Amino acid sequence: MRSKTHAFVAAAVMCLSAIPVLWAQGPARGGRTAAPADLTGNWVAVVSEDWRHRMATPKKGDFESVPLNAEGTRVANTWDLAKDNAAGLQCKAFGVGGIVRQPSRLLITWQDDNTLKLDFDAGTQTRLLNFDRSKQPTGEKTWQGHSIAQWETPPGGGRGGTAVRAQLGNSTGPIAPGGGGRGQRGGPSLADSLNQGGSLKVVTTNFREGYLRKNGVPYSETASITEYFHRLPSEAGEDTWLLVVTIIEDPKYLTQPFYTSTQFKLERDGSKWAPSPCRTAPPPK
Amino acid sequence: MLRRRLYGLLLALLTVTPAYAQLSIVGEWVGRYHEDFGDRVPGDVQGDLTGVPMNEAALRYAEAYDVRRGNLLVHQCEPYSLPHIYRGPLQFRIWEEKDPDTQEIIAYKEYIGTYMQYRTIWMDGRPHPPEYAPHTFMGFSTGKWNGDVLTVRTTHLKKEFYRRSGIPSSDQTSVVEHYIRHGNLLSHVMIITDPVYLSEPFVNSQEFVLMDRGNQSWLYNCEYVMEVPMDQTKVPHFLPGTHPFIDDFSKKFGLPPAAVKGGAESTYPEYRTKLEAGTPAITLRSGPPAAPRANEVRNEIETVHVQGNVYMLVGAGANIAVQIGEEGVLVVDTGAAATREKVLAAIRKLSTKPIRWVVNTSADLDHTGGNETVSQAGETVNGNPAAIIAHEGVLARMTETSRSVTERPLNTFLEPSRDFSFNREAILLYHFDGHTNGDSIVYFRRSDVIVAGDIFLTTTFPTVDAQGGGIDGIIEGLNRILDIAVPQYLQEGGTYVIPGHGRISDEADVTEYRDMLVIIRDRILDMVKRGMTLQQVKAARPALEYEGRYGTESGAKFIEAVFKNLGEKK
Repeated sequence: MRSKTHAFVAAAVMCLSAIPVLWAQGPARGGRTAAPADLTGNWVAVVSEDWRHRMATPKKGDFESVPLNAEGTRVANTWDLAKDNAAGLQCKAFGVGGIVRQPSRLLITWQDDNTLKLDFDAGTQTRLLNFDRSKQPTGEKTWQGHSIAQWETPPGGGRGGTAVRAQLGNSTGPIAPGGGGRGQRGGPSLADSLNQGGSLKVVTTNFREGYLRKNGVPYSETASITEYFHRLPSEAGEDTWLLVVTIIEDPKYLTQPFYTSTQFKLERDGSKWAPSPCRTAPPPK
Repeated sequence: MLRRRLYGLLLALLTVTPAYAQLSIVGEWVGRYHEDFGDRVPGDVQGDLTGVPMNEAALRYAEAYDVRRGNLLVHQCEPYSLPHIYRGPLQFRIWEEKDPDTQEIIAYKEYIGTYMQYRTIWMDGRPHPPEYAPHTFMGFSTGKWNGDVLTVRTTHLKKEFYRRSGIPSSDQTSVVEHYIRHGNLLSHVMIITDPVYLSEPFVNSQEFVLMDRGNQSWLYNCEYVMEVPMDQTKVPHFLPGTHPFIDDFSKKFGLPPAAVKGGAESTYPEYRTKLEAGTPAITLRSGPPAAPRANEVRNEIETVHVQGNVYMLVGAGANIAVQIGEEGVLVVDTGAAATREKVLAAIRKLSTKPIRWVVNTSADLDHTGGNETVSQAGETVNGNPAAIIAHEGVLARMTETSRSVTERPLNTFLEPSRDFSFNREAILLYHFDGHTNGDSIVYFRRSDVIVAGDIFLTTTFPTVDAQGGGIDGIIEGLNRILDIAVPQYLQEGGTYVIPGHGRISDEADVTEYRDMLVIIRDRILDMVKRGMTLQQVKAARPALEYEGRYGTESGAKFIEAVFKNLGEKK
């Protein structure tokens, strides 16, 4: 009897000690069914930062804010828009390293249970975020590359200000994504829980080199591009925002990681969706 | 039995897991400026108005803004306010304050290296203060975890700027922040709502990295100094259409001036079409009308301790100040007649000592309606009703308007100032022909509180009485308050100022009000000199950028009064 009790205690302690580890690392979870946040919808970029670099085409050599190294500076100074256009490289500013910063509308939908689809009307670009890690990139490198996605879920599903406590009882109920485990006691309803925290981590590889900025500020094919997508908590009557944090590490052209965070506002519908080809307006003279 | 206890232990362990529930944001963080570097770090080009959903009033403000205003001594140590500070170069430290019994987080504390500002984010569910509480540059913040996102809501902010280029933020601003951590990267999002100067919420975000060896540049003490002799009563500003640098940014970067001033419309993707076609136009929205004034005559009189021996009574029409001490009670203004009994009851709750003095800051009915009741309820040391003291102009006005003798101040003064001691505190009265020809401000020297009367309001433009009032007198009175007031730290706190109407204020609030009145006066004076009629002056809207804060109707009356006042002097 005593040994059973000891075993029980040992098991309990082991389980408990594993909890913070699991939470700290963020368990690798599936796609749609495990979504702690609903990222789908019609989003519009609100260009309140880097306006002159994003809304307009900056002058050649204007790479303010970007931590370029000597090689990056040299390459940026060779930018020639006409040459790009002639070579069919109009989409260099619309690749994975630059598209999020373009003034654009963004439609996010589930292509299937394991693939989140990002459509940008600027440049008419599509990115597929794969939750299936076994899916390997195939073929040639593309502007948008191959993205692997993974939910980073908050502990207990990320509810509000009250302390998150482990869920006990009613263990036969459905798992509410983000809802604090099984049953009704720990979490909000499904619809609410989908908006209460949790982020999507996306790592992209197998992309073509492109531009961080419209005026030829480069990133290389060997860059490491990591993004975090957050649907930000909001209250009734407030706008709903999507935040995309982008970290680009590119020793070839950058002296340090290049951090940006970009805001998109949720729109009611897609009535303002206006696909356009990859095109960069000439810079001011 | 043992097993039951162990089950109990397990249950207890499971229920105390919230220590793991949230990511820690504790640490020392330093900014990365990979967005808007030019504006956020060097900030050397004037006229950068891009990306901010400003309204027409904000543009007007920016077009008049002269950076030399920051050279005035009262402006030199003003820090950036919450919606602005995270945009500049800074590092900050976050730590937790925990309940020692439960280990739950009561608050997050922040020390911000730039300007050495401190900030508290309350996590214990307390409500935000009432509307009459003082505003600060960091405001009042409450936080809540949503999963791994810390969401913070802040109100009670002071007026400042969104950009150094002069895009103003108002004291009606509220901010929603989100703190999001990924490893050693902290993303900080601000969603700023400002009914006075923004037509849509202004969203921005910035990145900070954890400092492994943090200990750099934490000190930023500010001591004001007059480097260039300048008249501290003159407020540098540009008259409409004369800002020589407003288009510097558009010229430097080859952008159409209208696009730089495009406001909310220019932040959406479809604006590219206009920009590329070279046809942008300024289509800024007007701000909404100022929020209607709260009913200042309330069912309940609220009592607020300002500091020292001085309290403020709210809800009696105009604000009332009460000083209490061993010698008795002194009351500054007595509110509207309709609330006189409630006012007396509120005073009696503060002290049962005799009411010895009543001071009137003007003869206005909403300041003196309770004179008789309060005076008759008190007594001087020789047994008479409490003495009512005011400038001679107040007595003259009350006599002209046939107020009863028991309402009138019979202890009057004609000199520019009067002082006496009460409750071991020096009390100084200063007279100005400002709002009326009998205005006084009252300074409680030990308590360090100034009662401004109606030369300073946080609700409307001042009224300028046609019989003896004057805009220059109001400005003179405000300048006197600025001379007296000493902020505790970074232009906030220290000397508190009770306005005739509105919230408790300090030197920075009075400074903004003074600046506003000087700017509007200068504009109207310029128009008067150019021979413009009252209708033309009104049409030019010389108070446009302040109407969303202090009211269009109030502004129109103010402009008319100032026009007539200055016209008479011409």
